[in-house]
Amino acid sequence: MSRTLETKTEAVLARELGADRGRRPIGGRPRRAGLLKFGYWWWALPGILFVIAIHYVSTGVGGFFAFTDWTGIGAFEWIGFDNFVAIFQDPSKVGALVNTLFLAFASVILSTVVGMGLALGLNRGLKSRYVLRVLFFMPVVLSPLAVSYIWKFIFDFNGPINVVLRALGLGEFAKAWVADPVWAIWTILIVIVWQNTGFAMVIYLAGLAAVPVEMEEAAAIDGAGVWQRFWHIVLPSIRPAVAIATTLGLVNGLRVFDQIMALTGGGPASATETLATQVYKESFALGNFGYGAALALLLTVIILVFAVVQQRVTQGRPEEN
Amino acid sequence: MTQHRTIALRRGAMIAIPVVGALVLAGCSGSGDASSTSGGESTEFSFTFATSNNLESPYETLANDYMEANPGVKITTNPTPNDKYGETIRTQLQAGNASDVIQTTPGSGDARGIIPLAEAGFLEPLGDTAKDLIPAGSESIFEIDDKVYGQPLDFTIGSVVASLGTAEMNGIDGWPTTMDELNDACSALAGDGKSLLALAGAAGPNAGLTAQAISATRVYAEDPDWNQKRADGDVTFADSDGWKATLQTIIDLKDQGCFQQGSEGAGFDAITNGLAQGTSVGSFIPSGAAIEISKAAPPEAKFAVEPFPADDDGKAFILASSNYTLSINAASKAKDAASDFLEWMASSDAQQRYYELSGELPVSAYQDMDLTGTIYEPIVDLLASESYTPLPNNIWPNPSVYDALQVGVQGLLTGQKTVDQVLQDMDAAWGE
Repeated sequence: MSRTLETKTEAVLARELGADRGRRPIGGRPRRAGLLKFGYWWWALPGILFVIAIHYVSTGVGGFFAFTDWTGIGAFEWIGFDNFVAIFQDPSKVGALVNTLFLAFASVILSTVVGMGLALGLNRGLKSRYVLRVLFFMPVVLSPLAVSYIWKFIFDFNGPINVVLRALGLGEFAKAWVADPVWAIWTILIVIVWQNTGFAMVIYLAGLAAVPVEMEEAAAIDGAGVWQRFWHIVLPSIRPAVAIATTLGLVNGLRVFDQIMALTGGGPASATETLATQVYKESFALGNFGYGAALALLLTVIILVFAVVQQRVTQGRPEEN
Repeated sequence: MTQHRTIALRRGAMIAIPVVGALVLAGCSGSGDASSTSGGESTEFSFTFATSNNLESPYETLANDYMEANPGVKITTNPTPNDKYGETIRTQLQAGNASDVIQTTPGSGDARGIIPLAEAGFLEPLGDTAKDLIPAGSESIFEIDDKVYGQPLDFTIGSVVASLGTAEMNGIDGWPTTMDELNDACSALAGDGKSLLALAGAAGPNAGLTAQAISATRVYAEDPDWNQKRADGDVTFADSDGWKATLQTIIDLKDQGCFQQGSEGAGFDAITNGLAQGTSVGSFIPSGAAIEISKAAPPEAKFAVEPFPADDDGKAFILASSNYTLSINAASKAKDAASDFLEWMASSDAQQRYYELSGELPVSAYQDMDLTGTIYEPIVDLLASESYTPLPNNIWPNPSVYDALQVGVQGLLTGQKTVDQVLQDMDAAWGE
């Protein structure tokens, strides 16, 4: 480090990084050798076998049926990629794919922005922050299905939203929100974001707890504004938290099911169908198990691709930059 | 404790845990086989049926009656939620742990339809009693190669269930018999914030039944063999004037204000509440549902099963067929006991009891019953003149055709689809 430290912020940063380095174990030697010696890797073998058999083998078998015309009962034939060709030739399935991506990305962006805002607001200072944190986190622990039925009542034609609109003399705007071709998907998005924001908030709060107050104070003394402090100090420091929150949010958004089934059932006229609801409908309601398995395989591949890309984009740590 | 002993214990635990786990899982999977044998053939058997609420099902009551009449018999009933019923029995049949007696539906238009289940070898052929109960002309949805796989139970009417009391209270003198009368009634009721018909547009089965019940007058009254012609490839939905008129009627009913406001997003609760509270006069629901709703409605509601008016040059026609059947699992170890139960279910006493419990007409006796003063009185003449057709979707080749109709009707209500698009979707779902 040949150049002199020009600001107090840099001085604090250097001290923090130096302290980090000092705490690292030397030579990768286990710190608690006595405890680690007590266990052996094969102790986990029964669990591993169960997980492989129940989870991965059954998933693999499901993937196999994606290349068959099985109806769920009786015999089946190997039909190669016919199911996948049929999926991409069917406009309703392409629409389901678009809806899936829209709900996933829109819910991640909104949950991240609102969750981050709440986390910053409730990080420190506010006296009632503990109560407010509980209130904002509460939707996360509620059953998505039960919550969605309550929201369905709220969005109902005779529900509270329309009652308020009529009371305000805005009766012409009252509508069956969950059956409106334009608004139905937005009602689902609202419910998903409402329920996921608390989860994102908690992850960001955990990340913010590790951001040193001194660093922010030093930046403030150097004349950095609120926005500059957030962009150059806070956000880089909580980048791992952003990676976790957005990855989990994206995966959850891609496989969202309960809220759609409870609110719209995929309607009106398939306007809110996603790959997850189509997997269920084709496999179990319509008896096209092979076709449903192909949709499920497609959804799995999409989730894998986006999860990997997401991790690649957000994996860098601040000190590595 | 020596080192050797510790290692031996660990190895023992490693083996014991998976073995115990496997035994637990095996115990779970074996629990479906409840029948026990005495003297070769069991007098104990299981019975799975669909249920939509937590009230005691008519099937449960009938099973209890049978056990009371036959003290040596034990029936284990498995009420299964209606919305998951088809997939549940398919999974159980495939896994080999389905009940001995299973409630099914005729045809192949439903996941619980007997034709695909019988073709896959899961159902046992039934005897002459079941064969004798099949309504004339409906053999194709009960039989394969002259063997019967489902014993019909009910004779359900698919038409409008209307509260004549609500109609009278709103100045409507009786159920409309022409489309002009119906439109007038719609306009009058809509002006008061009420509706002639309650529609659950977001509930596929109700949207589908509404279209099918209207199609009885627009399609099947003129051409009762239309489904067979469609199967032969002689006609299509998209080219059918009758089907076009059917779907256009739904759009007209909406435009006339015949359905309640927000009907496109309504569920079944809109029907129950509308009919029970008197904000709607009628709805397209199965005839037996009138019994359930009448329990929640005031006594003056006076429910009746009414025919939907035909077009100007059409004739009155309704849907009427057996929509529920009982089948025997081909893998059952208690087939004789199960057959005896089905034989008893066909008896006049059991059929009369079924009528009292469910409100559905019994398939074996409806022609001889005096329906005067019952909810069925308005359609007695139509039944006598055989002016009815079976539920079309039971005859269609796969569930996707009916799904296309259900989705399409909601699309018509919201303006997302045109009549031609819906009919083309149904043709596409039908396949080659």
